Amino acid sequence: MAMMPKRVKHRKSQRGRVRGNAARCNYVAFGEYGLQVLEPSWITARQIEAGRVAATHFLRREGKVYMRIFPHKPVSAKPLETRMGKGKGEPEFWVARVRPGQVCFEIGGVEEDIAKQALLRVAHKMPVRCRFVRRRHSL
Amino acid sequence: MSKNLSLKAELRERTGSRQAAAARLRGRLPAVVYGHKKDALAVSIDAHDFAEGLHHGHRLLDLKVGGTTETVLIKDLQYDHLGRDLVHVDLQRVDVTELVRVVVPIELKGTAEGTHHGGIIEEHVDRLEVECSVTDIPESIAVSVKDVKVGDALHAGQVALPAGIKLVSSPELVLVTCHLVAAAKTAEQAEEEAPAAPEVIGEAERAARAAQQAEQG
Repeated sequence: MAMMPKRVKHRKSQRGRVRGNAARCNYVAFGEYGLQVLEPSWITARQIEAGRVAATHFLRREGKVYMRIFPHKPVSAKPLETRMGKGKGEPEFWVARVRPGQVCFEIGGVEEDIAKQALLRVAHKMPVRCRFVRRRHSL
Repeated sequence: MSKNLSLKAELRERTGSRQAAAARLRGRLPAVVYGHKKDALAVSIDAHDFAEGLHHGHRLLDLKVGGTTETVLIKDLQYDHLGRDLVHVDLQRVDVTELVRVVVPIELKGTAEGTHHGGIIEEHVDRLEVECSVTDIPESIAVSVKDVKVGDALHAGQVALPAGIKLVSSPELVLVTCHLVAAAKTAEQAEEEAPAAPEVIGEAERAARAAQQAEQG
């Protein structure tokens, strides 16, 4: 497993639902270009890691990649060929809950077309529709 | 090009999120006008005209509300969750002679010297707060990064501001740094460093307490 919290309050969590839109973390804050999620979803630690590897491999030590999401939520599963009952399964993997509007990856220090190509590769690793966004110079 | 955009505003008699949403559906943009120790006014303006004016760099508006015309400054903008559409705008009453504090975006100019030696430019802040006359608000402030070497930082105090503009942000505010890119971790390295399972807060104490109770019992 690539990313997971170092310390947690509870080992297992209920599934819950991803409702609403991102009210924060919905703008490019660190880099100049970003990848914005357009659907509510869970993004697994493996998918985040795959995105990071895809971007850093494409950029070849140029620019900087920022990850704006972290897999805080444990997802448990029961082993194969196990009868139902006997309690909740053990945590299998970790996911980040994302809402529409969340910026999941950012890139800084490179030209726009390079950032676009890198983030397109990241978008292919994501389980949701994403769009390329630029930093907005607000008032 | 005149910097003042003329817009007609309608008073919003009924306020609230539902009314605001209905106004947006009609192509109106909810706004509030305040300042100069007068009552705040809830108004709506034409969303398309306003967006067009904003796109062309207008910061000052001549707003016709009822029978009067007020000069207002675009103080704040609110966007939807995707950052696509404007949902609300704050307008501050101003006099053309007064000084105002505004946030102006910075524009990096030139190629940093450090980038020729393997460094990258990292932009920490993309705007500066400045004080200037209402009529002299710059669209952006050009910041030259030519002399930035690897390990250097460019502070707000080092920026050459146009005449008549005073810096309000802290002069020690770091705008840009140039540094070498650290080698990214490979997937294998990241996997080796990651613990098998996270520590559960308080679990060790609970286990110790349970063991102590079992001994006593």
